[in-house]
Amino acid sequence: MDQIKILIVDDSEMNRSILADMLGEEFVTVEAENGETAVDILRESGREFSLVLLDIVMPVMDGFGVLTEMKNMRLIEELPVIMVSAEKTPAQVELAYELGATDFIMRPFDAAIVRRRVMNTLLLYAKQKKLLGIIEEQIRENEQNSSLMVDVLSHIVEFRNGESGLHIWHVRTITEFLLRKLATKTVKYPLDETEITIISMASALHDIGKIAIDDKILNKPGKLTPEEFAVMKTHSIIGARMLEGLTQYRGNPLVRKAYEICRWHHERYDGKGYPDGLVGDEIPISAQIVALADVYDALTSARVYKPPFTPEKAEEMILTGQCGVFNPLLLECLSDEFVYIREALEQEAKDGQHAREIRRFSDALGYAKNTSTSDRTLKLLDYERMKYNFYAELTEEIQFEYRFDNDMLIFSPWGAKKFGVEAEIMHPALDTRLRAQLGKNWFESFKKLVMAVAPEKQDFRYECELAIGGEKRWYNIIVRAMWTDDLPPRIESFIGKIVDVNDMHNTITALKENSIRDPLTGLLNRAGVLEDVGRKLSRFGENKYAIAVFDIDLFKSANDTYGHLFGDRVLREVADRLVHSTRAGDLCARIGGDEFLIIFEYNTDIHPIIARVFHALCGEVDGFTLSVSMGVCEMASADETYTGLFRKADVALYVCKKTGRGQFRYYDESMEGEVLPAEETQTEI
Amino acid sequence: MTIQECFAALGGDYDDVIGRLRSERLVQKFVLKFPEDGSYALLLQAFEQGNAEEAFRAAHTIKGMCQNLGFTKLGNSASDLTEAIRGGDLAAGVPFMPAVKEDYALTVRAIEAFKAGL
Repeated sequence: MDQIKILIVDDSEMNRSILADMLGEEFVTVEAENGETAVDILRESGREFSLVLLDIVMPVMDGFGVLTEMKNMRLIEELPVIMVSAEKTPAQVELAYELGATDFIMRPFDAAIVRRRVMNTLLLYAKQKKLLGIIEEQIRENEQNSSLMVDVLSHIVEFRNGESGLHIWHVRTITEFLLRKLATKTVKYPLDETEITIISMASALHDIGKIAIDDKILNKPGKLTPEEFAVMKTHSIIGARMLEGLTQYRGNPLVRKAYEICRWHHERYDGKGYPDGLVGDEIPISAQIVALADVYDALTSARVYKPPFTPEKAEEMILTGQCGVFNPLLLECLSDEFVYIREALEQEAKDGQHAREIRRFSDALGYAKNTSTSDRTLKLLDYERMKYNFYAELTEEIQFEYRFDNDMLIFSPWGAKKFGVEAEIMHPALDTRLRAQLGKNWFESFKKLVMAVAPEKQDFRYECELAIGGEKRWYNIIVRAMWTDDLPPRIESFIGKIVDVNDMHNTITALKENSIRDPLTGLLNRAGVLEDVGRKLSRFGENKYAIAVFDIDLFKSANDTYGHLFGDRVLREVADRLVHSTRAGDLCARIGGDEFLIIFEYNTDIHPIIARVFHALCGEVDGFTLSVSMGVCEMASADETYTGLFRKADVALYVCKKTGRGQFRYYDESMEGEVLPAEETQTEI
Repeated sequence: MTIQECFAALGGDYDDVIGRLRSERLVQKFVLKFPEDGSYALLLQAFEQGNAEEAFRAAHTIKGMCQNLGFTKLGNSASDLTEAIRGGDLAAGVPFMPAVKEDYALTVRAIEAFKAGL
């Protein structure tokens, strides 16, 4: 790929140099020391550049002069300009924007901000995406903010109304369909994309005046009396007044449209409506359309006083004038769009709000006029991304992408939020927030890991513990390395997702822990010993090892005399004494009934250790005299296995018991003759 | 003299600049370049010749460079001067010149001392 070329215009050589260094080597930078030089360069080869960084105060020609020239050359529409200046008077900023600047970076420069802004601007423009796209983006953003407000307000109304939340959505959808159709039929009403969006959004507020209507009237199941109806009718004027009261928003187009709709959505085309008795197109088109949408949805919905009509019946009733008098052009729109409206409402009833938002957006794509192919492609990509983010949010997955060419790490918005980092991170290894949130060297070691594994496996996954903002949790990280088609292929980027598996991990750890522990005493069980013992004994040489096997003398009689609960107490007591008399490196286990095992790790002489533990184990538990018989075997060479050692210790234990209990014995070969072959096999593990 | 000591001597904010430039190498590079910049000479010359427009631009450039480099002290005095002569009245700037000259000298002295120790 050709390198991206950026023009830096600043009279201070040092400032140009700082900017060039901040941008780094993946960009080609060309410098101009004043506006005139810049204009010359742009005239010569303006179209080779992807971005201009422009100072304001310069000799010969200042930044405003450059912007003006770029406008004359018709370059400003396709070449984004970021102002870099110490000027921050609102008038200067305003003027720069007015002349077509895309963004402002104030001095003093911050390397991360400069890069981020430059990348954002480049990504946004991608050279084809024009100013139009950016403006639309801004509108959409504003739209989302207002949309939230509208949602909140309209839901308050519905809550009081006892209507289903769908009514608002339905009216909005029908309104939008009718508006779009109407825009294709006539130029009488100024219906551009923005106007359509605003009217549709404002439609949700048509009944806010009902907040002030008494519950008893509002939710009365039967027919209203003339007096009650008179009260009910005031909701249109009340709603309008509420909006009028929003003095600070009075100029806001959304509020203005909402005012029209509130006040006049019960007017009739023939002048017989309320509150003002307006006739024909005296009624604003917004209110006319919402009135029709309101009636249609009321007919097709169940109400306390009526069952729902079918969409076909409702259409017929409206078209034949049984439910009011409407603008004939609107009736035409209704009948043209009927099938689509019916389908959309059915779909809406099934969907959640997310899906509605997405479809609204995708519909808008199809309708957007004057968009070039590349705009469309970009928007479709936007749409795909939106869809992807939506699913990601549902599953609480965190997606990421890392690109080697510009050293940029991108998290899905949800992921960025969860990790408390920026969504787009330039030079992640150096990013302060990423380092603070995920650990200083997390990204470097992660990248190293990917690079090590990727040549052999395109996809791989592993589990690891991440401390997000200090809180440690287990995550499953799945990575796919993306290779180029070159020969030999190069790794270009990697993508992946990070799934929080902490709960699952803890469950598995707990299960595993349970499977190797004796639930009564908390000591290891046989399986637990086997899990660990091989590794332990392999360190023979560094340490010495001895194995001791013991059981509780006359334990059966304790059980028989005092009951099993008491027997359990004795076992717990023994475990307790065992844990307290052994050291951290020793391994203690209950390997069956009243049979225990210790693997000692020591450096000097085993005898005092055995004597101490043995004596600690003897004593009294509520009248029962606790004593044990213990066989001990020292590990003599690295060749000895656990099984062999265990058998020898068990032989010593056997001899112990045979010669009077309450003692410990060390294994020696002379004992072998004492043991019956049958018992030997019994104690094998 | 370390770069931090140099900043302390010239009344600058090293933490600020390293936070933005992210590289000690870059900071050092630009600090060493600062005395070579012609804006200060241009400022003095413009004052002598009574060229208000050029004096404003030069003061503005000095202010901008100081902001970028975290030279707080000189940046402040250059900023005061810039605002004073923004309207094109050189006489209004005269009372601010001594501070600019003094801070400029201080800054360059500190940088030279730093350079000598490299």
